[in-house]
Amino acid sequence: MTNSRIVHHPILGRLQERGKIHFTFDDNEYIGYEGETIAAAMLANGERVLRSHEESGNLRGFYCNIGHCMECRVTVGNQKTVRACLSLIEEGMIVNSGKKLPTPFKKGETL
Amino acid sequence: MERRNTEVLIIGGGVIGASIGYYAAKSGIEVTIIDKGDIACGTSSRCDGNILAIDKEPGFDSQMSLESQKLVKQLSKELDLEFEYRAPGSILVCESEEEMIAAQSWVDRQKKAGLSFKMLDRSDIKQESPYFADDLLGGLECETDSTINPYLFTYSLFHGAIHYGAKVKLRCEVKGMRRNSETGLFHVNTDQGSIIAKKVVNAGGVWAPYIGNMLDLNIPIKPRKGHIIVASRNMPVGMRKVMEFGYLMSKFGKERTVDEETDKYGVALVFEPTESQNFLIGSSREFVGFNTKVDLDVVNCIARRTIRFYPKIADFLLIRTYAGLRPWTPDHLPIVSPVEQIPNYYIAAGHEGDGISLAAITGKLMTELLQEKSETIIPTHPIRFSRFQNVSTIQT
Amino acid sequence: MIDVFIVGAGPAGLSAANVCAKNGLKVKVVDEFMKAGGRLLGQLHEEPDGTWWNGIEEAKKLNDEAQQLKVEVDCGVSVYNIKKQNKSWKVYTTKGKFQTKALLLATGAAETAIPIPGWTLPGVMSIGAAQVMTNVHRVKVGDRGVVVGINILSAAITRELQLAGIEVSSMYLPGKNIATGDHGNPILTMKSMLKVASLAPSKLIRIGSKLMKSESLHPLALKFYPKSGIKVWGMPVHLRKAVIEIVGEKKVEGVRVAKVDLNGEPIVSTEEFIPVDFVCIAGGLYPLVELAAITGCPFQYVSELGGHVPVHSEKMKTPLEGLYVAGNITGIESAKVAMKQGTVAGYSVVQDLSNKKEAFQVQLKQAIQTVEETRNQAVIQFHPDIRTGRKKVYMSFKDKGLMKKRDFYGT
Ligand SMILES: Cc1cc2nc3c(=O)[nH]c(=O)nc-3n(C[C@H](O)[C@H](O)[C@H](O)COP(=O)(O)OP(=O)(O)OC[C@H]3O[C@@H](n4cnc5c(N)ncnc54)[C@H](O)[C@@H]3O)c2cc1C
Ligand SMILES: Cc1cc2nc3c(=O)[nH]c(=O)nc-3n(C[C@H](O)[C@H](O)[C@H](O)COP(=O)(O)OP(=O)(O)OC[C@H]3O[C@@H](n4cnc5c(N)ncnc54)[C@H](O)[C@@H]3O)c2cc1C
Ligand code: FES
Repeated sequence: MTNSRIVHHPILGRLQERGKIHFTFDDNEYIGYEGETIAAAMLANGERVLRSHEESGNLRGFYCNIGHCMECRVTVGNQKTVRACLSLIEEGMIVNSGKKLPTPFKKGETL
Repeated sequence: MERRNTEVLIIGGGVIGASIGYYAAKSGIEVTIIDKGDIACGTSSRCDGNILAIDKEPGFDSQMSLESQKLVKQLSKELDLEFEYRAPGSILVCESEEEMIAAQSWVDRQKKAGLSFKMLDRSDIKQESPYFADDLLGGLECETDSTINPYLFTYSLFHGAIHYGAKVKLRCEVKGMRRNSETGLFHVNTDQGSIIAKKVVNAGGVWAPYIGNMLDLNIPIKPRKGHIIVASRNMPVGMRKVMEFGYLMSKFGKERTVDEETDKYGVALVFEPTESQNFLIGSSREFVGFNTKVDLDVVNCIARRTIRFYPKIADFLLIRTYAGLRPWTPDHLPIVSPVEQIPNYYIAAGHEGDGISLAAITGKLMTELLQEKSETIIPTHPIRFSRFQNVSTIQT
Repeated sequence: MIDVFIVGAGPAGLSAANVCAKNGLKVKVVDEFMKAGGRLLGQLHEEPDGTWWNGIEEAKKLNDEAQQLKVEVDCGVSVYNIKKQNKSWKVYTTKGKFQTKALLLATGAAETAIPIPGWTLPGVMSIGAAQVMTNVHRVKVGDRGVVVGINILSAAITRELQLAGIEVSSMYLPGKNIATGDHGNPILTMKSMLKVASLAPSKLIRIGSKLMKSESLHPLALKFYPKSGIKVWGMPVHLRKAVIEIVGEKKVEGVRVAKVDLNGEPIVSTEEFIPVDFVCIAGGLYPLVELAAITGCPFQYVSELGGHVPVHSEKMKTPLEGLYVAGNITGIESAKVAMKQGTVAGYSVVQDLSNKKEAFQVQLKQAIQTVEETRNQAVIQFHPDIRTGRKKVYMSFKDKGLMKKRDFYGT
């Protein structure tokens, strides 16, 4: 499922021509279009994964797509916890996924 | 003829009501627990989960905590639902020579009382966490302190109580009550009809005075507000519960050398890693009525205080904040007691910042009181209601 | 100082802004989404007369008017705290703090999650997320998916996905568990769909009505619910099958579906695996009210309105001076109603800030009446007893005694 933009729509009409935007996600280069969010541009490139859960390492993508759930949090430049569903891509933007973090002790373990 | 609906009616479904419900039902007493909201909707879901001896005066105060600690450990084995019980110990850190001296005498007194306390020096502190500020001089530790998740604990106690036959009524508010002087039974009016009970336990936390008022009792409990920050899981900062020694100073109302705002809001660092390895960071102490609205100025002040002790966590993310009301009493000890002038009426409230710690012992003791046992697990004198009865006005 | 600060550039917020600006007030609107319009953006329904309700166009109309009226609309800005300061409000945003005389909260609604096993896998999203991705961003959410949760919103959006050429294989109930509650109950689901039957345009509902005219026949009708589902727009809707688990290694690969009995309990050994690459979860909407809670405004739980709502009057005033609410924060209804509520709130603000209080009496009354009319004509209605719910809240507003009691308990 690559380049899955909906160019033609029976009611909404044809998708407008927009400028290309280059950005990186976890060091890989991607191309999106002006006005796209990080979440939308990634999905259009066939990428659903935006982060790993801090504790379990399970993969996560966007869920609500309108800023309510915080599932889509990524790092943009030095800024942590940026909602990928609310943030527009910009030329040269450096985006990183959230990573699994070291765990000093696990469920049920005591010291 | 009046038909009673329950032998014992426990008003309040916080951690205290839950624990009494559990121990009483387990010992075969017919109990009903009611709450105006949901389980743990009051202070018991707006707090930390520490079960501490480190900050208790040697003597009755610490005996009560240590007995409770033992019971909680037992509960972690006997209750079906887990409540994130851990016993990693806790530490207090000092930022001045003065505090180090006070800490040393605190440790000496605790050791004399036979408790596992120990002083920590600068290098011990560094080993505890690489995130601590370089200028911290040291501190002290109490090896046996434990931590739980307070609302899971409350749920777990409810679950256990129900297992032993307790009845639970939620979203059921007590509006008034009277005692029939002939039968001695309590007629309790709620928004879901009336309940007739032989005995009533007022476990209403900060609302206990309103419930007491219904029978003209003057219960000297006041809400003392506290804020908590939930910070996002990040690199491991430390595994134990950390408090500043100043927390003790402010708890007992002693002089502290801190800036005006920190003093005004009664802010002292309490740092608790949760089981999911987020951080609960507190706290403040204010008398501002029944207001649980989060005040961002207080939150900022707590954050500043945290960064003073852990400068390197300044960029950790805040998930949310909340505020709860500690049920304060004038002598900082709870009321777990029958009420002499009203036979079969009991109070279990006023645990201030220790209700989670003391829930287990309170439940056990109240069960013994309900059974009118002559021997009790701890002495009852210091926590009797009658100690306040000559006090007509309460000062804060 | 600003005269009116509005949180939310949805239909309610923008409509209010335009009324205020027309009457000479200095208005600032902020919204954390990058485009003005709120949840209007993405809405696409066929009206009974065959025309299309295109939310993007409606949003554009409102926003163009706001621009003409020199309303300052700032997108990509979140509000995270509010404080009362003397007679005014201090609003904390991610782009600075603002002082305002009047504050209108028009934050809209959020979706209720239905957690079922596997729901955190990439490729699982809320039904509203799919709507925005498809109609606003114009990116396909996948090649073939299923919708879990059957309600008026999921039916409408499923249709939108199909319009965009995305295959939705079926709509199912969520497997029953402690967290999915009533959403997994076939009878309750059918009933709630039937209640909106006369109003909704969807074919599903019309078929449903015919099937189940009489309440006593409901279980029977469900018993004979076709095994292949009822087809709506060529897609089967299953009231007797539930998604038990979402499966996949690194993203959604398929769902496990089982037949369920009349109570929603899965029937053993009826399981099948359906390969899909996306799943939409539809748990319905609830009012997004956190900011109102921060102000200390009293609340009321009203199930007909979708959950906890700030207490308010028909004039969209809260019991707190200078604090107003409009749109879905006051209860779940369609965008058309939200717009009209915004107009009411706008006139209330204008009246309260004007020296000649009487001057706006007529407009305000008219605006309140228009809300009623719009409600009565609504094609999409989220709750059949919305009017009962509205009455409950307006009563609470009048009942000052109740309000005092709330303060007394600090809740
Ligand atoms: C910020 C903060 C941090 C804290 N940290 C700790 C800690 O680390 N360790 C510790 O031990 N303690 C801590 N505490 C203290 C602890 O939370 C409290 O002491 C404890 O929760 C009190 O429990 P409770 O059951 O007495 O009160 P609550 O939990 O408030 O329960 C009382 C219940 O009574 C109900 N009620 C009231 N009136 C009525 C009525 N008329 N009819 C029916 N029901 C009614 C209420 O709804 C409520 O649910 C902290 C407190 C705060 C605020
Ligand atoms: C996902 C979803 C899909 C929907 N689909 C339909 C549909 O297809 N048809 C239909 O009739 N109705 C639909 N609705 C109902 C919808 O709520 C109403 O139609 C209408 O949009 C409500 O208008 P409003 O102005 O009250 O709120 P909204 O249109 O939701 O606007 C509120 C705005 O406030 C902003 N906001 C919220 N909190 C903050 C904050 N703290 N800081 C800054 N900005 C903030 C939001 O970003 C949002 O743009 C949907 C609702 C949702 C949540
Ligand atoms: S997907 Fe929910 S906040 Fe971005």
